[in-house]
Amino acid sequence: MKEYIIKIDKVKYKYEKNTDYAVNGVSLNIKEGEFTAIIGRNGSGKSTLAKLINSILLPTEGKIYVKGMDTSDDTKLWDIRQTAGMVFQNPDNQLVATIVEEDIAFGPENLGVEPEEIRRRVDEALNTVGMYEFRKRPPHLLSGGQKQRIAIAGVLALNSECIILDEPTAMLDPSGRKEVMETLKKLNAEGKTILLITHFMDEAVQADRVIVMDKGYIKLDGTPKEVFRNIDEIKKYGLDVPQVTELTQELIKEGLDLPPDIIEVKELVDLLCQ
Amino acid sequence: MFRNLTIGQHYPVDSPVHSLDPRLKIVFTIIFIISLFLIESFLGFLIVAVFLTVVITISKVPLKFVIKGLRPILFIILVTFLINLLMTPGRVIFTLGFIKITEEGLRQAGFMAVRLTLLIMGTSLLTLTTSPILLTDGIEALLKPFSRFGLPAHELAMMMTIALRFIPTLMEETEKIMKAQKSRGADFESGNIVSRAKNLVPLLVPLFISAFRRADELAMAMEARCYRGGVNRTRMRQMKITRGDYAAAFIFTVYIAAIIMFRIW
Repeated sequence: MKEYIIKIDKVKYKYEKNTDYAVNGVSLNIKEGEFTAIIGRNGSGKSTLAKLINSILLPTEGKIYVKGMDTSDDTKLWDIRQTAGMVFQNPDNQLVATIVEEDIAFGPENLGVEPEEIRRRVDEALNTVGMYEFRKRPPHLLSGGQKQRIAIAGVLALNSECIILDEPTAMLDPSGRKEVMETLKKLNAEGKTILLITHFMDEAVQADRVIVMDKGYIKLDGTPKEVFRNIDEIKKYGLDVPQVTELTQELIKEGLDLPPDIIEVKELVDLLCQ
Repeated sequence: MFRNLTIGQHYPVDSPVHSLDPRLKIVFTIIFIISLFLIESFLGFLIVAVFLTVVITISKVPLKFVIKGLRPILFIILVTFLINLLMTPGRVIFTLGFIKITEEGLRQAGFMAVRLTLLIMGTSLLTLTTSPILLTDGIEALLKPFSRFGLPAHELAMMMTIALRFIPTLMEETEKIMKAQKSRGADFESGNIVSRAKNLVPLLVPLFISAFRRADELAMAMEARCYRGGVNRTRMRQMKITRGDYAAAFIFTVYIAAIIMFRIW
């Protein structure tokens, strides 16, 4: 039985000026090693939730525990941020240093890690994200996907067990998105817990678990297959389902005998070509 | 248009001068500047010129490159030269209307011009052979002792690093906004200086807004990566004094000794 690394208990959050809750009573547990995708339209509260987990924001009501540490406990702040590292949307606004490897070293330097150990961690992180040969480059000459991989490496160098990504691919082109997704899947296979906030359905499909948020509430929660079969409900929340799922359901309406929870093209092709 | 802009004027090659400890190089440069003001004869400047030529040769930076660095201050050198030439009282050797040139004036003017030229060449050698990031590290290390007296050494260095990091980003953004405004009829090129300055407003407003937004996001990202100021912070790259640094220090001491001896003698 695996431990819960993140426990969210009836959390509400309201931004100062607003009257509505951005996060309105969310309870959620995330297991160690799980790859979870949170989807929802703009203003659904998904980014706020990410910032709450990282203790950038503190819940108005309720509690969040990261590996048993209360996010509202000031003394645990740095341990929490180290355990649950965060990658943001805009790759340009989260890289600090003028050289790639210096940027990855930024986190461990802040923690006061020994220089030799920082060097080791930086090299390891660079290799993991496949950017070792770019270590001496200035970040502004890299592509968006490469910059996001550097940002991910920066979190890895903190030795984070869990990586929270707040729409990391929103500003990237398709090839950059693919690079980032492949890196995330690799990290997940190595045991990292991944919490991916996105509005790309094809990314959510690749997760172990999909959570749909709307207006601060969790509306659906389950495996991609369980979630995406609810086409009408998902569309109600302003989201799309993978094209292949929609096609399958149209085919079912036309009388074909197919399971309603197909999420990958290959699955449908295999079934149709039997 | 801004893509090819290089920050500072670092000339990245591998040379004994490049691999010197940045702290040492900064200190050397400061002492070098002082040494220039100790000199009172053209023969003294000859020593400096020879020394500088040797260092430039070792540094593998083409002499042409170093001289090119003089261009922006050519005007200042010229003005200094003329002021010294015309304003120094003494034995008149040449008169043309109200213009009087004295022997002392000529001497003084020549001195200042040579001194300024050597000064710029010497100091630009520091930025040519040291990458901005090493320079920042060096400055931070040298200022650190003063943090006891309330000097924010780490914060200054961090500000320099972030500025260096964001210059290309903001340049790119400026270019983007310019294009966007031009496509909607903005005019940045014609008109007199006042109307041109006015035309920059629609460029600067969005640029500032976006810079503030970036600053906000960057601060959040830095905090998320456990940044909490300079206290207890370590650095991956450690600066170590090597044998080459000792050799350089020796050569430099000989140079300074020569200058001082020349002055006393």
